[in-house]
Amino acid sequence: MLELKNLYFTVPESEENSGGSRNIIDGINFTFDDGKFYAITGPNGSGKTSLAKLIMGINPVSKGSIIYDGVDISALTITERAGAGIAYSFQQPARFKGITFRDLLMIATGIDDENKILNILKRVGICPLSFLDKEVDAKLSGGEIKKIELATTIAANPKLAIYDEPDTGIDLWTIGPMVSLLKKELAESKATTIVVSHNRSFLEAADIVIIINSGRIAYSGNLEGAMPLLDDLSVCTYRDSCEGDSDAGCYR
Amino acid sequence: MLDAIDKTLLKTVADLEELPKGAYNIRKNGKLLSRHVSANINIETNADETGIIVKIKPGTKNESVHIPVILSQAGLYDVVYNSFIIGDDAEVTIVAGCGIHCGTSDPEGHAGIHEFKVGKKAKVTYVEKHYASGDGKGRRTLNPTTKVFLAEGAQANMELTQIAGVDEANRVNEAVLGPDSLLLITERVLTDGDQTAVSTNNIVLSGSGSRANMISRSVMKGNSKQTFYATMDAQNKCFGHIECDAIIMDNGTNETMPSLKAGHPDAELTHEASIGKIANDQLTKLMSLGLTYDQAVNRIIQGFLK
Repeated sequence: MLELKNLYFTVPESEENSGGSRNIIDGINFTFDDGKFYAITGPNGSGKTSLAKLIMGINPVSKGSIIYDGVDISALTITERAGAGIAYSFQQPARFKGITFRDLLMIATGIDDENKILNILKRVGICPLSFLDKEVDAKLSGGEIKKIELATTIAANPKLAIYDEPDTGIDLWTIGPMVSLLKKELAESKATTIVVSHNRSFLEAADIVIIINSGRIAYSGNLEGAMPLLDDLSVCTYRDSCEGDSDAGCYR
Repeated sequence: MLDAIDKTLLKTVADLEELPKGAYNIRKNGKLLSRHVSANINIETNADETGIIVKIKPGTKNESVHIPVILSQAGLYDVVYNSFIIGDDAEVTIVAGCGIHCGTSDPEGHAGIHEFKVGKKAKVTYVEKHYASGDGKGRRTLNPTTKVFLAEGAQANMELTQIAGVDEANRVNEAVLGPDSLLLITERVLTDGDQTAVSTNNIVLSGSGSRANMISRSVMKGNSKQTFYATMDAQNKCFGHIECDAIIMDNGTNETMPSLKAGHPDAELTHEASIGKIANDQLTKLMSLGLTYDQAVNRIIQGFLK
């Protein structure tokens, strides 16, 4: 069980905005139950990724606490949280020089046995065998590196898996299988799964949809109940200033 | 014939546990220690006895030559001039390397000047590793030079590595590329403490359709300093690329100067250079897979220099 208690992530405000500070995550209280599928959604800049990074320890907790399996992990390092069974799939995965997908799998699992590595690939399914000895470098396409990122996260056999926008750069034909894969893993391993996404496929797959807006939880519950709020949030907040001109040149 | 120190040095610079199969020439403390030739590969001492001439018969396939140099004699600075003549259509791997073991406060050093004449459509892979060890305080210097001449359609793949322990290095690589030839150079240099290394590379793309790719990976630990110069001089329709990346750790410093010269309207030359600390997103990723900060740093450097 993962509990967020009165959680804040505060950053200093730039000089031109009068200095001071701003709460990116603004006092969140929430409990994630074991073995459930959560989808976190909300407008750009609402704090979704910041919240996910707080749980993994990539962002430091400014105030409040994160309780995981009864232990306060707020001050633990990323490494210690990984050791406690939390895994994180990055929205923009790091690119290396001289480190292959096989290397990442070996680091994530501690396994170097060829057959076992092949079994992991088979289980994850979305990465062809030819990926295994590819360097995870700038030559990989956006979709390829996201598949590798997802596979590495699943291979770590986490108790709590966090996926930040796993569908970015993924082709339409892979999103369905990706959702099924996460559901299958959840069913088999009972790992709590948190997916940050705008994609309807993930929202539909989730047991609970959480909408974040301005660093706070605006809604949590089933998708049906979330729809009115999602429709509302999709309305452009800049419409007043551009007055809806058809030639405003807005691609927002 | 080989003592424990020799064996360690040989293993490190040439991956040799024992004397190699096929042709080899092992030089120890400035003198020939052991030599073996094969039907297709001849090795002989040059006329002024300053090095060896390795001749590979045209059409030789899948053979290798090992020519390691080991130094463990205090105060010695060994200079050697080696020539490699690779016949047309031959495919061969040459493993060179120098290991220095310094047990005293006297300096030790080695300069290897290696010249390659690669025949038409021949392919050569050249692997060179430099390494120094020992408890002595004497300065260890390694100054390798390679000069490569590629005939029409020839290919050379040069893997040049300086692993550890070398106080001072002045590395020079020169190449002249004939028509449709291909040169790949990968240089990896790790320095630590107060060590310095300078690498100077001059690649002349002389023939039409020639291609060259120079990759440099540098890691500076401690207070060490590395300087990298690379010039691609395009004199014909050709393609050249320089990629130099330097990772700074501790208080290391680096200067990198890639230079491109196009003397022909159809020359295509590109370069990318970067100097900086290890990227934060790489460290975070590996830590999220369970490595500690230090383990993540080591793993990234290990991959970078692989």
